[in-house]
Amino acid sequence: MTTPSLRELGWLVARDVNRTVGGGALELMRRSLARRQWIDERGHGVLVAVSRFTPGTNLLAYCAALGWTCHGPAGAVVATMAGSLPGAAIVAALTAAAASLDRWPAVRAALVVATLVAGGLVLASAWALVSPYLRGSRKAWTVASIALAAAVFLAGATPVRVLLAAAIWGALTPGKEPS
Amino acid sequence: MSLGVLYLLLLKATLTSFSGMGGLAQIRQDLVVTHAVLSDDELSRAVLFGRSTPGPIGVYVVSVGYSVRGVAGAVVAWLALASPAFLAVPLLVALRRWLHLSRVRGAVDAVVIAGGTLLVPSGLLLARDAIRQVASLWGG
Repeated sequence: MTTPSLRELGWLVARDVNRTVGGGALELMRRSLARRQWIDERGHGVLVAVSRFTPGTNLLAYCAALGWTCHGPAGAVVATMAGSLPGAAIVAALTAAAASLDRWPAVRAALVVATLVAGGLVLASAWALVSPYLRGSRKAWTVASIALAAAVFLAGATPVRVLLAAAIWGALTPGKEPS
Repeated sequence: MSLGVLYLLLLKATLTSFSGMGGLAQIRQDLVVTHAVLSDDELSRAVLFGRSTPGPIGVYVVSVGYSVRGVAGAVVAWLALASPAFLAVPLLVALRRWLHLSRVRGAVDAVVIAGGTLLVPSGLLLARDAIRQVASLWGG
């Protein structure tokens, strides 16, 4: 395995993370890291597991863990910034432009359509999160987990409390230990 | 709303999500319903811009921050988006010890599933909002 410079690390993360829309960046990262021999497949797997367990945006957690592995604190900061700043700048610019264009009827109509699309995208995100579990070996447990979360939410609990209830449920009803 | 409060509210939303869009319900609860500093329309746009932009899906919170407090709000939102990522560092050490425990894995799985479930009402609200706007546009 070789160790990249901070500059190489930042460039690779900025390029791969900001090359996809809506997912797929981790696969690009895996290929780039393996090709350069910075992290092997097993190391990538550990970083993915860590990112799934970290609150917040999984992809940025992966960047932070990768940066730390390669270059300690400086690497974590550089990789997280490289992974998040370009997209953040684009989103801020889009929002600023939308605010000034909002007065035009055609733009307003387009934004209404966009809102409908956004609703669909959110529902697609929900499905992307849950569907791997529904295809797995614990289908009944997954359905029960969904029902529990929905019931707690419909009972008026805040999202944080719904997640806490889910964590307790998950800890009390674990699956089998991996062999 | 002060920048400090905005940061803390967005941090709460990002910290309690295990996916890019997972904090959406919390953001709507805090900024649209409780504090009324953001409209459903602005939140819808934020989601759309976030999903249409290369990079992490959770970057929509930057649009939320911009809508609430302009450029300073966008910077604060970016900090709220990026800061939870650093929790990955201590977890990198701890997980190597504990992830094989079925109870820990079960808790993580259930939280991910609950996060997906919480997105459903948010998506339906966005769609309902859009249909209402279509009706108002056609009705003049």
